[in-house]
Amino acid sequence: MDFTLTDEQRMFRETVYRYGKEEIAPLCEEADLKGEFSFEIWKKLGEMGLLGLPFPEELGGSGADIVTCCLAGEALGHAGVDGGSLLAWGAHTYLCTCNIFNFGTEEQKKKYVPKLASGEWIGCMGLTEPGAGSDAASMRTTAVKKGDKYVLNGSKTFITNAPVADVIVVFASVDREKKHEGITAFVVDKGTPGFSVGQPFHKMGCKCSTTSEVFFEDCEIPAENMLSTEGAGWMIALSGVEWDRSTLLSPFLGASIYGLELCARYANERHQFNRPIKKFQAVQHRIAEMRIFVEAARLAIYRVASSKDNGQMLNPLQAAVNKVYAGDVGFEMASHAVQIFGGYGFMHEYPVERNFRDARLGAIGGGTSDIMRMIVSRIMLM
Amino acid sequence: MDYELNDAEKKLQQDASAFCMKEIAPSAQVLDEASKSEVFGTIKENLKKLAGAGLLGTGIEGGSIDLVKYYVAGEEIAKACPATFLSSRASSFMCGGLLNLFGTPEQKERYLTALRNADKVGAVAYTEADAGSDIAGINTLARKEGEVWLLNGVKDIVANAPIADVILVLAYTDKEAGTEKGLSFFVVEKDAAGLSVGEPLETMGLRGLPLAAVTFENCEAKEILGGTPGNAFGQISQILSMGTVGIAALSVGISSACMEKATQKAKNRKAFGRKIGSFQEVGFKLADMFTLNDLSKMLALRAAWGMNMGENEADILGACAKLFASESATKIANWAMQIYAGHGYIKGSDIEKLYRDAKFGEICEVPSEIQRTIIAKNDLDKFA
Repeated sequence: MDFTLTDEQRMFRETVYRYGKEEIAPLCEEADLKGEFSFEIWKKLGEMGLLGLPFPEELGGSGADIVTCCLAGEALGHAGVDGGSLLAWGAHTYLCTCNIFNFGTEEQKKKYVPKLASGEWIGCMGLTEPGAGSDAASMRTTAVKKGDKYVLNGSKTFITNAPVADVIVVFASVDREKKHEGITAFVVDKGTPGFSVGQPFHKMGCKCSTTSEVFFEDCEIPAENMLSTEGAGWMIALSGVEWDRSTLLSPFLGASIYGLELCARYANERHQFNRPIKKFQAVQHRIAEMRIFVEAARLAIYRVASSKDNGQMLNPLQAAVNKVYAGDVGFEMASHAVQIFGGYGFMHEYPVERNFRDARLGAIGGGTSDIMRMIVSRIMLM
Repeated sequence: MDYELNDAEKKLQQDASAFCMKEIAPSAQVLDEASKSEVFGTIKENLKKLAGAGLLGTGIEGGSIDLVKYYVAGEEIAKACPATFLSSRASSFMCGGLLNLFGTPEQKERYLTALRNADKVGAVAYTEADAGSDIAGINTLARKEGEVWLLNGVKDIVANAPIADVILVLAYTDKEAGTEKGLSFFVVEKDAAGLSVGEPLETMGLRGLPLAAVTFENCEAKEILGGTPGNAFGQISQILSMGTVGIAALSVGISSACMEKATQKAKNRKAFGRKIGSFQEVGFKLADMFTLNDLSKMLALRAAWGMNMGENEADILGACAKLFASESATKIANWAMQIYAGHGYIKGSDIEKLYRDAKFGEICEVPSEIQRTIIAKNDLDKFA
């Protein structure tokens, strides 16, 4: 066992933390109030090289390992960058660009990865449909081959980044009879005739990521835009999803560290009954719960990340445990933070309020907690 | 970063698991129900067996303690029989660990091999009626009379006392000097004049663990642990801090046993024409058991590794691990009972015993409430 970070990883985390705190976090309160995607924040993420971390340098990335990618998410969350901007970061990098990088041809990679890695283009992924959430294989979007083109019809919903995206990796079925085995992934460019994007949803939290439906109406795309082969889509969707239970969760961990520090500071400063509220055990015990969560969630998230870096097979139980715990308990911790701040915690100007709303997504996005429990119990009962 | 145990640790885990399931587990239910005299005999046999397999005080040698090894072996012993684990721990980790870390060469020579071979059984006496987590409150006093110290006081809950050959006794040698400089551990043998062990205590769970009060009335003690008086506060603080890993091992052992048994039950029992595990109310409980058990294990190993490496906040990680693992164990035992339903409530069922056993982790050696206070103080003080 070895739980230490390399010097390079430690310095990277520190650098990203400082950059996030000084350059990005000050923009987040206003952006969250507006509830709009912030191109200013996006630009700053790109300038720091944070939008293409895991890709090789020749494609405009930084060649970072997965632990380092998680450190970036954690450091930004810890710095006070809002959950929405980090959701945009995650969906762009890990759901869109990673799929193109991992499954694309050389031409596809050269065309898309550098522009996505720099942040010039924004990416998104379309899997979920109005009638196909946890049961993604029941999707109704179809792709019919017509000469050297595919014609897409159907709609996708809850697509993070869609309203601002230049590129979407979309899943559609070439043969619905085949169920999983008919699902195929395509890269679709903004502006393709027949492809349109709905109005952004008003969301409870993670408001700086913008989310909408996307529609395909006789949308013709060149066959060379297919990722991998016909029927490979389900494997592509799954291949990312479990590993994403490290990188996409790391901002939630960071936000919990941020919340813990905000609370520890506030409990020292705030006085009631002639003493700082940290003297009250009810406050202390909430702080302790937050610390335990941070330690346990950190272990769970980096276990998944480091196993990928070390070339080990992913243990699906570990990935699921990670998601259940970080999602469910992370939200409880965000609630503790609001409680410590009392009335102030209910006010927008205190970041614990935003953290609370943002944290709620942890138990929903990328596989709900209930689905995770289903996975774990099925394996246990095998 | 690497979360895997190394090959030697993995082998230790496999060997300990195989040995304990075969040699120790069969006595767990017996220990729960037997008379105290039978219990003491069986526990001593178990300690001998563990010693024979090299599992008594794994990792405790050469003046230091390898807590990763200790945890790995401990979890397997606890899974087979929680009471045997705690008795082995009182002897080899609490008593043997203190001697190994702080004893004089002569004290180590005299006791360590004997404890490791289970030729002698050790105990540590510190808890009193008015002093548990607040150790400053002990009333046992040591008064120097010529060459010897005379101990007076009552230790009201001492693990292994009924079977112990050597007891480390915490007493004030200089009350004026206060907790940090006035406390000392005395090395006392069971036949010392003025030492009397009370009637065995009956307990709710872990009924195989020998427990009794020990009374000292002008008990003659000649030796202080390490030779110099006034060092016991640091000594007990260190062993209790490292001890969090052992209580985590106890708790994970219990919760692993509960989880495995409940999983089998969920696979085998049918209701409404289906395996009960296929109902989400049951299946999701299993998933929650797995999550808490798995995180407990990771926290414990993380703390153990941090302590081995001398990390700054390893004691806080230990507190987190002990608290999380022990509270998880009571939840998991409770869910296991729900899955067993009536069959888990019947005397003689594994789950009925484990449910009672699980509680101890939350209340022993710094209960959850105090652990939370310790953990919080660390974070709050950073912003003071």
